Amino acid sequence: MNNIYEILKRLYSHLLFLVLLGISLSLYFNTTYYQKAQVGSVTLSITGFWHQQASRFTDLFSLRRTNLLLTLENTRLRNEIESYRVKLQAYADASRQITDTVGVFSYVPAKVIDNSINSRNNYIILDAGTRKGVYKGMGVICSNGVVGIVANANQSYSSVISLLNTDIKVSAMHKKSGSFGAISWDGRNYRRVILDEIPLHVNVAVGDTIITSGFSTIFPKGIPIGRVTDFFNKDGSFMEITVELFADFKSIDYVYLVNSRAHDEVNQIQSVKQ
Amino acid sequence: MTKDLFKYFGLAIILYLFQFLVLSNINLMGYANPYVYVLILLLLPYNTPRWLLLLIGFVVGFIADYFSNSLGLHTSAMLVLAYLRPLILKRWSFRSIQDERGAPEMTNTSMEWFLVYVIVAVFIHHAFIFFLEAFTLRHFALTLLRVLLSTVLSSFFIFIIEVIRTRNKRVA
Repeated sequence: MNNIYEILKRLYSHLLFLVLLGISLSLYFNTTYYQKAQVGSVTLSITGFWHQQASRFTDLFSLRRTNLLLTLENTRLRNEIESYRVKLQAYADASRQITDTVGVFSYVPAKVIDNSINSRNNYIILDAGTRKGVYKGMGVICSNGVVGIVANANQSYSSVISLLNTDIKVSAMHKKSGSFGAISWDGRNYRRVILDEIPLHVNVAVGDTIITSGFSTIFPKGIPIGRVTDFFNKDGSFMEITVELFADFKSIDYVYLVNSRAHDEVNQIQSVKQ
Repeated sequence: MTKDLFKYFGLAIILYLFQFLVLSNINLMGYANPYVYVLILLLLPYNTPRWLLLLIGFVVGFIADYFSNSLGLHTSAMLVLAYLRPLILKRWSFRSIQDERGAPEMTNTSMEWFLVYVIVAVFIHHAFIFFLEAFTLRHFALTLLRVLLSTVLSSFFIFIIEVIRTRNKRVA
């Protein structure tokens, strides 16, 4: 205690200088526009940090409502996009006199109630069930990537096989070249999955985007999955590509279930067969 | 003591009037802005404690800012000068400064010493002001030219003021 007092006694004039200089400089930089802008770019990282900390608390109160509103809006927009896509498709197909309903999708919003990432076989539980039109085999996506496939659904809940599950494989495509393969998880890093079956001659570069192929009726074509971080020659004819996921599975909150009309039609055919 | 207080107050008022009624409106050659109010701080007694120097520098600079509509600019420059004044005095201490009660004035030191003291102090003050005002090193040469020209002019005016002031004193 005495020590601190001694130090303060020795340094108080220097401290006074720093305090007063701080006051005057802040006065100065708060009154003239030019300097304000110049200092702004330097100190933004400092002040920005505090604003961010403050808003992290204030935002919490409206988070639930905001998320819900955004999800509803996104669903509406996605449905709208799909309807336009159908119309476009119709025009394109009119010239060929072929109508093709494969690739017609609509979306159902859902909230994640339970999620895990640290097991080898991870599942996600959603708050949407058959009452909302969820069925087994439905694709699940979030705003920035593929999440998984519905494994089971009861009236009001459904369980989803997460993409982070060593049992699941999703058909995926290298966006630049259009060559396709299968995405699977090796059970190690929750940010990384493996893309197999891409032939060696394909020009793959780090940073390339991987999207869904659309060959199955589960996911529409072109849903982003992730970005290439590494690739190597696996067995002489195929590459093993490491893909960093766009979706952060740790913080998935709201998702969309992909309702594929093709699925209904395939079902109809199956029921007719029976 | 009270007499000294009046002396400094009177000097401050005269310097401010001279500064903001005359000098600040001239803007000589478009480059030079002499600031003579610095003299108030330079003439304080040797034994003025540092904290008092800082506070006086703050107040003097703040008033100058208030008149030149640049809140904070002169204040910070004066603070820097107030902080460095003891170091300047130590570095360029005059041989006959034995009496700790005196103040650095032209009458009790040599003219050369006083000029060096004023030029060094004014240069520090002006360099801080002009570079803070420009707030970039892009036009370094131009800013430096402004600093040097202003330093010369300020020192010249301060010298004249000091000559007049001490002559009056001698008469009185």
